[in-house]
Amino acid sequence: MAEARQIDMPDHVSARLNMGETVRIDRIGYAFVAFFTIPFLLFNIMPVLFGGYIAFTEWSIIGAPQWVGLDNFREALHDEWVINAFKNVLFYGLIIVPGVSICGLLAALFVNQRWPLSSIARTFFFAPYVVSATVIGLIWVWLLDTQYGLINHYLSYLGISHIKWLTSTEWSLVGVSIASIWWDTGLAFILFLAALQDIPKDLIEAARVDGANKVQRLFFIILPLMRPVISMVVTLQLISTLRIFSQVYVMTNGGPAGSSASPIHYIYQAAIVRNTFGYASAVAIILFILIVLITVLLRLVVRERA
Amino acid sequence: MKMFDAPRVFAFRNGSPQLSDVAVWLIGMFVVFLWAMPFIWMVSTSFKLPEHVLTEDIEWLPRVWTLENYRKVFEYPVLRWGLNSIIQATVSTGLCVFFGAMAGYALARMRFPGNGLLFALFIASLMIPAEVTVVPLLLAIIKVGWASTYQALILPTVANVFSVYIFRQFFLTFPRELEEAARMDGAGPFRIFWLVALPLARAPAIAATVIIFTLNWNNFLWPLLVTFDESMKTLPVGVAQFAPVVGTHTQLEGFSVSMAAVTVLSIPSLVLFFFLQKYFIQGISQGSVKS
Amino acid sequence: MSRTKSRVDRRTFLKTATAASGAALATPLIASKAFAFNKPIELVHWSWLAASDGEVWAQMIDSFNQAHEGQGIQIKMELVPEEQYTTKVLTATATGQAPDFGWGTAGKGAQLARDGVTVPLDALIRDSGLDLADFTDSSVKAARYPKYGDEMYMVPMDLMSLQPEVNVDHVLEAGLDPDAFPTTGEELVKWGQAMTKFDGDNVSRSGILMTGSGVQPTVTWGIVAEQMGFQRASDDLKTAAVNPEAGIAAMEWVLALFDEYRVSTRDVTDRYKAFGTGNGSIFWTGPWTLNGYVKQGVNFRTYEMPNIGGTQRTYFEMGGLEFYKQQDEERYAATMEAVKWLSDNSFLWTTVGRGAAPRRSILDRPDYKTTGHPWDIRGAFVDGMKIATIPEIPVVAGPEFTIYSGGNFLASTLENVWAKQKSPAEAMEQLAARWQKGLDEG
Repeated sequence: MAEARQIDMPDHVSARLNMGETVRIDRIGYAFVAFFTIPFLLFNIMPVLFGGYIAFTEWSIIGAPQWVGLDNFREALHDEWVINAFKNVLFYGLIIVPGVSICGLLAALFVNQRWPLSSIARTFFFAPYVVSATVIGLIWVWLLDTQYGLINHYLSYLGISHIKWLTSTEWSLVGVSIASIWWDTGLAFILFLAALQDIPKDLIEAARVDGANKVQRLFFIILPLMRPVISMVVTLQLISTLRIFSQVYVMTNGGPAGSSASPIHYIYQAAIVRNTFGYASAVAIILFILIVLITVLLRLVVRERA
Repeated sequence: MKMFDAPRVFAFRNGSPQLSDVAVWLIGMFVVFLWAMPFIWMVSTSFKLPEHVLTEDIEWLPRVWTLENYRKVFEYPVLRWGLNSIIQATVSTGLCVFFGAMAGYALARMRFPGNGLLFALFIASLMIPAEVTVVPLLLAIIKVGWASTYQALILPTVANVFSVYIFRQFFLTFPRELEEAARMDGAGPFRIFWLVALPLARAPAIAATVIIFTLNWNNFLWPLLVTFDESMKTLPVGVAQFAPVVGTHTQLEGFSVSMAAVTVLSIPSLVLFFFLQKYFIQGISQGSVKS
Repeated sequence: MSRTKSRVDRRTFLKTATAASGAALATPLIASKAFAFNKPIELVHWSWLAASDGEVWAQMIDSFNQAHEGQGIQIKMELVPEEQYTTKVLTATATGQAPDFGWGTAGKGAQLARDGVTVPLDALIRDSGLDLADFTDSSVKAARYPKYGDEMYMVPMDLMSLQPEVNVDHVLEAGLDPDAFPTTGEELVKWGQAMTKFDGDNVSRSGILMTGSGVQPTVTWGIVAEQMGFQRASDDLKTAAVNPEAGIAAMEWVLALFDEYRVSTRDVTDRYKAFGTGNGSIFWTGPWTLNGYVKQGVNFRTYEMPNIGGTQRTYFEMGGLEFYKQQDEERYAATMEAVKWLSDNSFLWTTVGRGAAPRRSILDRPDYKTTGHPWDIRGAFVDGMKIATIPEIPVVAGPEFTIYSGGNFLASTLENVWAKQKSPAEAMEQLAARWQKGLDEG
């Protein structure tokens, strides 16, 4: 805990502590950062700048890009497939973000009890997070198979018959979301668990002595203390959900009828399958703006509350 | 850093447990089982004969155990894909962690104009959808003649900001006295970094390594685009060919083969995780404390 | 890496070669050509054939390499997923690293031809001695782009059509006669209904195999619509969507398969797998599936596409090898030598491999019908070429017209119709508008 507090220390304070009062300039620092910064600029930043330029052009790789101004953006904002993809990602967010947060929180509360086999529980809750999208996608395509899938089989005991998880326009987005929740919960779980273990024991003990029962302790002590980590998990998950792609690609390829397509899936299609790079870049920039807006908005909301 | 307690098998904390605790525990463990179920089902299916896969009732164990599905998977150059993945993930992770340590050290301990700006740029870049960069990057890589090469697989993944971040956070709390002592002895900045700072940064180094290695191992879109040659594919890209919607190898192979393929693909990351989970968990909770 | 290296080798070689040929002007043409391959040339070939047909193609390349062992010319094949094929060809060409040749589909390469990514082949074919008279007229015609000098842009390799493959076990089980496959739409639906199985209210085995989205319903619509007299583009490539009411009627026919006749389910995602595992009875598809199903032991026969809409027609596809622009134009002649050999020796490819032969000399061989898979399953793909008259539209916007697609504008517009989110009339209006724009742009 003590260490974690220090990590939170603002930069200028730590800088003063570390370097004494003299204002010294370490030019050698440039050499230290160069090894990382050069590939960073080359492979992370330059392509983004180029992509930003391409968004204002029409370009299919051969020949020079043709400057078209804001045409791509205008077209994108009227493209029903783009609108559809952004609408879908909203629903993905509405399902996956609460799904992951709640599953992660419950799992963390459970493991934090240190009951028997809790280390096994911890391993299992986290394990899906380490495998790749290909694994997630393929396993869940099989689990969610309409006719022979495990999920529909057990649902049939509850009197629910054959949901077309991945092959109907009503369910495909839900099907992909379920797989995503299983995949992403591990991260939220670990973050919550770490936060739970940082809650001072005496605080909880004091509440117990005062006669607060478990539920009261959870809602009046534990959850309020975890507010920062909850807001962090929600933010991280929201950003990653806005960028959902691989599992969509592997499980449904956006279908049927675009019902599970996400913005990045659309960008992939526009760029790689249809070779309309300017247009794809424009959609990517719209997505980027959306991500920044939402992140800033969330930050403001959290600050407001705090 | 908080350590997680070693497992304590079958002992409730305060002596005899309450009945309600036992009930919650049972429900919880059932959910844990449900959580593991997809993996169990994956492995089980992978050992079934194709004709025993599509059954009306759920059969948790294969009627007949067979390795045939694995044999079919290995008809594709899976070992080669695995080798490519290992080379790609190892080299890229190694470079990323080392460069990240240097940059993180400098950002935390050294004062130079642009320090804060650079760090802000690193963090801001996390918001850029990586997919945006893919086409210009592909063009550049082909331009220099690197298509389907290891450098094309490796170099664009080297600059993972997470590495810088985790080391910077670590070195912010690094005791100043150690550096001072080394400086008194006449050591230059590189020697201090190499002989004093780095050896003590084992925890963040391992945490960064396992996490970035996993990310690299699972990387999908970039290797998909940059490998033209069957023999240069990485494991996730090769195995994705068994997916029904986008795949090309599915005409003959049913779920049993695709489950064998994903079992092969997930084993390395799962094994790595089981043995190093402490570091995974540390790395993630540490790295995210202030993002 | 190896590519770059072989280039350097070749450059130094070419210098010496030029010098040498200057010194030996008297050498006959043939000899100098043979000499040109004395130093190794490695041709790079890109292919997206990845199913069972890909294995036969790999054999073709292997036998070329064996036949030319030590003769200084070899082919290196690289597999590129079909979805990314064009992007990769474009990027590689833009950076001067294009492969020498690759697989193309007739009519789909107008943009590549316009942008100079693919190479016009008339002169190269003439110089190489490849006998164009031996190719069927329709194959030569399909390889040309009227808008781009009417030159051939590919060497035709095989002719394909969509024809119904039918699971014989299902036919017998339903008490139908496998020798009397339907020739009309009504009979076809009856057959489908006789073989469809239900699980409660849901179709669990499709009498007529469809998918809820993607290629299968799109191409079915395309075939039925053209049979009914619809045209995606008029013959002069000026007017889009001729006879739209026929197109709308065809959409309704496809919808009826799901909802009215109840012979299909939207719930199939992988059509190839569904037919292979016996989850569908009648499945129109192409000859590239034969190897797979035979290997898998499916008991099936292939018939000619019935007349559903008025004229008996089906989808035509021609595969061929196209040449990509090289910085070093000397490579074209070597590539043409290789492609000529592959075409001359395409008996294996057009019997065991994939489609029907475009070359008369191969079609006329007495063993053409007896080689490869039984005529029962292969014959319809050869004889059925006469009804394969629904081609690609050879314009730059061609990819938006193709009916054999799971992700183009046509397919995604129709997807909304299959999912009942758009009316057929509305979809037709959108298609007509978009296609007209494509034709106007040239």
